[in-house]
Amino acid sequence: MEKSHLNSLMSKIQRHRDEMAFSEIFDYFAPKVNAYFIQNSIKFESSEELTQEVLSTVWAKSDLYNSEKSALSTWIFTIARNKKIDFFRKNSKVDFKEEDIREFLYQDREVDLIKENEAKKQIERINDELDEQQKIMIKMNFFENKSHKKIADELEIPLGTVKSRIRHILTKMQEFLT
Amino acid sequence: MNGTVVKNQLIFDFASGLLGPAKSLFASTYLQLNSNASKISSTFENMLGENLMDNENIHPKNLKYTDCIKSENGKTTLNTKDPVTRYFGNLNNLNWKQVYKGFKEYTASIDDKDELKLIKMDPGVSVPLHSHGGKEFILVLEGSFCDEYGEYSKGDIQINDQKIKHTPIASRDTGCVCLSITEKDVIFFGKYGSFLNLFTFIKSFFKPK
Repeated sequence: MEKSHLNSLMSKIQRHRDEMAFSEIFDYFAPKVNAYFIQNSIKFESSEELTQEVLSTVWAKSDLYNSEKSALSTWIFTIARNKKIDFFRKNSKVDFKEEDIREFLYQDREVDLIKENEAKKQIERINDELDEQQKIMIKMNFFENKSHKKIADELEIPLGTVKSRIRHILTKMQEFLT
Repeated sequence: MNGTVVKNQLIFDFASGLLGPAKSLFASTYLQLNSNASKISSTFENMLGENLMDNENIHPKNLKYTDCIKSENGKTTLNTKDPVTRYFGNLNNLNWKQVYKGFKEYTASIDDKDELKLIKMDPGVSVPLHSHGGKEFILVLEGSFCDEYGEYSKGDIQINDQKIKHTPIASRDTGCVCLSITEKDVIFFGKYGSFLNLFTFIKSFFKPK
């Protein structure tokens, strides 16, 4: 789906609480968000509940989305990531005394958010530099949150190679952004 | 390890939601004070957003869009206070512990494997030459300090590990307030534990600078 189309759907939701526009956003993102939770080792039942929470937030807090600050997919990703953090925290054995610590750590930052076009150019540059295997590693490590060991097993390459290639990506990021 | 790699690792892990609460608070403060770090984080979040766009579809079985429009929350207000102020309150009112003259610290009571501390140094105060057991991250919140490796001002991070030996000195004009994260030391247990701990202890004297 075109990004411009997604943005026009979002603005219909923001201005007119357009339910039909929302149903299109839902149909497009719900299966992807649900897959994200499953990739992050969350069982199907819970993934579906979390997906509902994410899409409910998109509807209820649509006024927080600003298309000039980030792509819609980025905004929805951050909502899903935050739900994931909450989910793991609730299910962890560690007793967090600071109930709302995530709430304020991951709130929308007002400072220095780069505009989408700027980010787009940088991401294109980065994508040109990275080969397919590195892109897959970024996805596995940072999107699916798999350990280096698991990545090595799944790609059938030595653990040392995974570590050095990810380290290479981390160093490169600095160059791309200056 | 290269400082840039460690800094970017921190930013990437934060954007991915992989950090525990202590490091999360540290990282979010870093992003707020350092515009370059904030840009890297935004770009990286955009990359993860692209991963979401291109992600495979696993359809929810029992979920319809109408299930998501029932809950109509009110408008959300953003809290504009920085994370340090929200968490610690007014720094002047904290019960600082004096380590020695001109050097105070306050340890946060966060239940996490990493320790989060505030450090306050009076103008011109120095820390005697030392090295570090685990990895330590220092973020300057106010003022500045310098050591053998350079000068660090508001929003700068210094990363220290066992290889680093240094003598930090707070700015003579402003002193400095810093946020620090210390990763807990690795301690060996089991049959050969005491031998390994002794070995680590002895080895620490022969670390190259």
